[in-house]
Amino acid sequence: MSTRPLKNRTVQVAFGSAIAILLLVGELSYRSIVITSENNRWVQHTHEVLENLQELQFAMETVASSVRAFLLVKDEIYLDRYRAARLSLDRHAAAVRALTVDNPVQQRRIPNLERLTAERLDLADKNIDLIRNHQPLPEVSSFRAGPGLQIMVDYQAIIRQMQDEEQRLLVLRDANTKQSTSRTELILIVGTVLGLLITVAAGWIVQRDTSRREIAEEALQESERKYRALIQGIKEYAIYMLGPQGEIRTWNPGAEQMTGCTPEEAIGQNFSRFFPPDDIALGRPQEILRLAAANGDYEEQGARMRKDKSRFQVRANFTASRDSAGKLRGFSVISRDLTENSESDTKYRGLLEAAPDAMVVVDQSGGIVLLNVQAEKQFGYRRHELLGQKVTNIIPVGFAERLIADDLRSTEDALAQQIGTGIELIGLRKDGGEFPIEIMLSPLVSAEGTLVTAAIRNISLRKAGEQHLAQLQGKYRGLLEAAPDAMVVVNQSGDIVLLNLQAEKQFGYRRDELLGQKVTNIIPVGFAERLIADDLRSAEDASAQQIETGIELIGRRKDGDEFPIEIMLSPLDSAEGTLVTAAIRNISVRKTAEMHLAQMEGKYRGLLEAAPDAMVVVNQGGEIVLLNVQAEKQFGYRRDELLGQRVTNIIPVGFAERLIADDLRSTEDALAQQIGTGIELIGLRKDGGEFPIEIMLSPLESAEGTLVTAAVRDISVRKAAETNLSQMEGRYRGLLEAAPDAMVVVNQGGKIVLLNVQAEKQFGYRRDELLGQKVTNIIPVGFAERLIADDMRSAEDASAQQIGTGIELIAQRKDGSEFPIELMLSPLRNAEGILVTAAIRDISVRKKAAVVLLQKVEELHRSNEELGQFAYIASHDLQEPLRMVASYTQLLSRRYKGKLDSDADEFIAFAVDGASRMQRLIQDLLAYSRVGTKGKDLAETSSDAALQQAIINLRGAIEERGAMITHDDPLPVVLADEMQLVQLFQNLIGNAIKYHRSGVPQVHVSVVRNGAKKWNFAVKDNGLGIDPQYFERIFGMFQRLHKRDEFAGTGIGLAICKKIVERHGGNITVESQPGLGSTFGFSLLERSANTTSTQG
Amino acid sequence: MPLEILLVEDSPGDVRLTQEAFRIAGKRINLNVATDGVAAMEFLRREGVHGEAPRPDFILLDLNLPKMDGREVLAHIKEDEELKTIPTIILTTSEAEVDILRSYKLQANCYLNKPVQLEAFEFLVKTVNEFWLTLARLPPRETVV
Repeated sequence: MSTRPLKNRTVQVAFGSAIAILLLVGELSYRSIVITSENNRWVQHTHEVLENLQELQFAMETVASSVRAFLLVKDEIYLDRYRAARLSLDRHAAAVRALTVDNPVQQRRIPNLERLTAERLDLADKNIDLIRNHQPLPEVSSFRAGPGLQIMVDYQAIIRQMQDEEQRLLVLRDANTKQSTSRTELILIVGTVLGLLITVAAGWIVQRDTSRREIAEEALQESERKYRALIQGIKEYAIYMLGPQGEIRTWNPGAEQMTGCTPEEAIGQNFSRFFPPDDIALGRPQEILRLAAANGDYEEQGARMRKDKSRFQVRANFTASRDSAGKLRGFSVISRDLTENSESDTKYRGLLEAAPDAMVVVDQSGGIVLLNVQAEKQFGYRRHELLGQKVTNIIPVGFAERLIADDLRSTEDALAQQIGTGIELIGLRKDGGEFPIEIMLSPLVSAEGTLVTAAIRNISLRKAGEQHLAQLQGKYRGLLEAAPDAMVVVNQSGDIVLLNLQAEKQFGYRRDELLGQKVTNIIPVGFAERLIADDLRSAEDASAQQIETGIELIGRRKDGDEFPIEIMLSPLDSAEGTLVTAAIRNISVRKTAEMHLAQMEGKYRGLLEAAPDAMVVVNQGGEIVLLNVQAEKQFGYRRDELLGQRVTNIIPVGFAERLIADDLRSTEDALAQQIGTGIELIGLRKDGGEFPIEIMLSPLESAEGTLVTAAVRDISVRKAAETNLSQMEGRYRGLLEAAPDAMVVVNQGGKIVLLNVQAEKQFGYRRDELLGQKVTNIIPVGFAERLIADDMRSAEDASAQQIGTGIELIAQRKDGSEFPIELMLSPLRNAEGILVTAAIRDISVRKKAAVVLLQKVEELHRSNEELGQFAYIASHDLQEPLRMVASYTQLLSRRYKGKLDSDADEFIAFAVDGASRMQRLIQDLLAYSRVGTKGKDLAETSSDAALQQAIINLRGAIEERGAMITHDDPLPVVLADEMQLVQLFQNLIGNAIKYHRSGVPQVHVSVVRNGAKKWNFAVKDNGLGIDPQYFERIFGMFQRLHKRDEFAGTGIGLAICKKIVERHGGNITVESQPGLGSTFGFSLLERSANTTSTQG
Repeated sequence: MPLEILLVEDSPGDVRLTQEAFRIAGKRINLNVATDGVAAMEFLRREGVHGEAPRPDFILLDLNLPKMDGREVLAHIKEDEELKTIPTIILTTSEAEVDILRSYKLQANCYLNKPVQLEAFEFLVKTVNEFWLTLARLPPRETVV
């Protein structure tokens, strides 16, 4: 390829330039490193210079300072310092000089430096000497200013200049470095990138090239494959390759077909072997090759010879193939068989071989020109034994005649007549055996003229069958055809020899499709095995075994569907031996039913076993056909001991009778009568023990007729309970009769089922007049409603609600009179369900009493009110005349005291005193009675406010005695009548202050919570105290413990307190010891739950 | 000129007490007394025997009176155009709130409870004297132009 070198060049160039760039990059990197290190050195150098300059400065200063110090202190130690500094100066100056040797600017400065140094040192030395010599110093005072200083200044200036210079250089160098570094960087980057790009490009080109090549190679391979396939595919043409000398290199099927040689046989051979010997002798093959080689290709037509030595004409094209150098590699040959119809011949040949029947091709003279392997088999000849022979050898009679054209018709016509028709003839085997055949003819036009292809079918079986049929015709045909089941007759080798219409239908085949076929086609498994006589038994025996047995197998239809079948076999003697007639019944339906039944049986069986009661299934003969594990347990038998036994073994009496149909009724009717009823009988255990049972029957249809399922329940417990119950009922009855109250038992329907003698008396009925009657007859309203379960609750709930509660209702006597009653209900369970026992008490007396009580209370209430009013009015009206008496006796006393005699004074004094006492008493009485009559409703009251008010009211007494009143803080809000609460506090605190002898009366009001709702107040004082024996008395009206002249007061104060406290729902208490003060306690309610305190 | 006071009071004891109290108070008064409501009205209206009765400057009225109740008298006084200007003070033992309210509704000028104690009674009269008869200005006696 011409492009190849170019590509190569490109790749070379690419790689070359990449390498060049890399080198360049390397060079540059190296350069930059060098520069960098140089720069580093310079920097270092500069730093050194600076350092030394610094040291110089320092040394100079040290010189100055040490000299100064020495001059001041005159201590030798400073001279040491001085000397050291001098040395340093020298050293560092030398260093600087050396370092800056390449810098002329710096160098110029150095002499100045040295000069200054020398000056300074000189001066220093001078001064030192002076001091040493104890001579005064010039300008001693001005060490600061002076030549020394100036020198220092100059010196420092120079140093600084040098430093600056060095710095400048540093900066410059730095900049340079940076510049070159960045330049280098740039070049590096660019170079690297470029190098990469080129490499990538080159690589890509190479890659592309490679893949292109790969594709090309693949394409080449592909085309080679196709070519090969093509070559192989072509069958009509022989296409093969030869070597330069004519050796066969490749061979295709076409060549094979044409020559009859396989590739294995042909490859390697010289192609001249397919030439006729005379051609070989003439040297034709070589000549052909030579011509082909000379001209590139050569076409020739000539004779060839097949493997079987048959000759044929071909037209062949030889093409020389040369390599790129032009050297002859070989030849490719394409040749075509010129024999007419050779293509169709070949095809035809194939078909022929593959045909299931024997195929024989006969020419016009009756000679066999072609036959297939089936023909060989059928007639027992080898091919070459028949080829060329007359067909009459194998079909003696009938073939030729039909074919030979006579004057009346041509071959074609003759043929035409035969076409399609199956002609029955006799075939003759090599061994002389004859067999019936059926031939089907078809013409075949060929180069040699019209040939006849005959398809020959061995119809011996069929013939036999036909014979059989004829044999059996009279006997069986009718039967067979008419049979409702499919009938198939099979011979000893398992072939179907006969079948009927039903069989055709069942299996979906046509008769002739099955005749002669193996029965295994329709009954794959099971049939043949049973029939084929084996070493152990003969066919007859085998058949005999199967006779009359219904065997279940699977049948297979033509469409492949399988279905369950039952076959019944019977032998059939015939000329050919024992045949087996099989009646085949499609049992798919039955099978489904059986499956269902099995399922149901399974379910049923499960139910049976799981049932809590004993279950026994009995057949019409009274035998137990089924039982469950409960039955085993109950009766103490094992299952197998009971199955099949008469049910009377376990239920001696009563079962069978009920079931056995008699003349009057059928089983069904008998059953019907029992259905649902629980029948009580006696069961008999295995051990002979009897026990009461209850059976419930239900019918069960089965294949064996009607069975009876009996659920057997052991009711011994229940029976015992029933006995108990009746016993108890007796006892209960006794109790009932003895009860003091009327007792009535009512059932769920509201009817009286039981009553006692008291009930008879109360209601005025006789027992039998009430039994069974509705309870509403005696308790019209209210009883039934409470008891009868309604939709919302059951009887139990209804009863439960009433238990214990006394319900008041109205009862009605027989004479119609009504009276009030109280009911107490209690439930009573029994067999019939829930009964309600009602204890009925006549409460008319109680009711009256209640009424009376109510009246009395009313009266009392009224009289109390009256009394209250009376007290009020009385005391109020009493005031009037009393006022007169009191006032006028006072006036008398005032006006005439001292004016009459002393007796008169005394009398008047007593009168005045009595009158005023009476006034006070009446006032107190009024106040006491007002607690009740003028009392307001209790409301939320601040006890704090009430106390404050009481204190205000008492301020006179408090101030007088200097009393101290304290209280807990805060005092709660309580439920009280405000005025009365004030009065209460006022009385108690007033007492505390009054009943006090000496000192300061102290009163403390405290409060403590009591439970959730109460406040316990306490008023404690430090007064006289009270003797406990008087605790009761002091709260009485007008009770006093002291003489009138000791303490004033009517003695009603505490009585009022008591009344107030009691009115508030509490009670007043006192704790005291004489001389130790008293504590009065009372409780008040907290604000009631219903009221909410409102912030005011 | 002494003040004319009409005291409507049925208890002679109270009458005397009142007199004494006023005397102790030191005021020169003319105490006219009517012992029941009817007499009171006759006096005020200058009817019958009271044809020449002076017009009172001040009325002290008890509530519980025979024949005509003090409440009625009050009502009459305060309905009468000529009489209603006379300051009328209820002086009674009744502490009933309903009486108090009713009295003020009927336009009583003041409501006082008769104290039970003599001293307290004397103090009350003294106070009335000081306030009503000394401090307070009373309307002119005649309403004649």
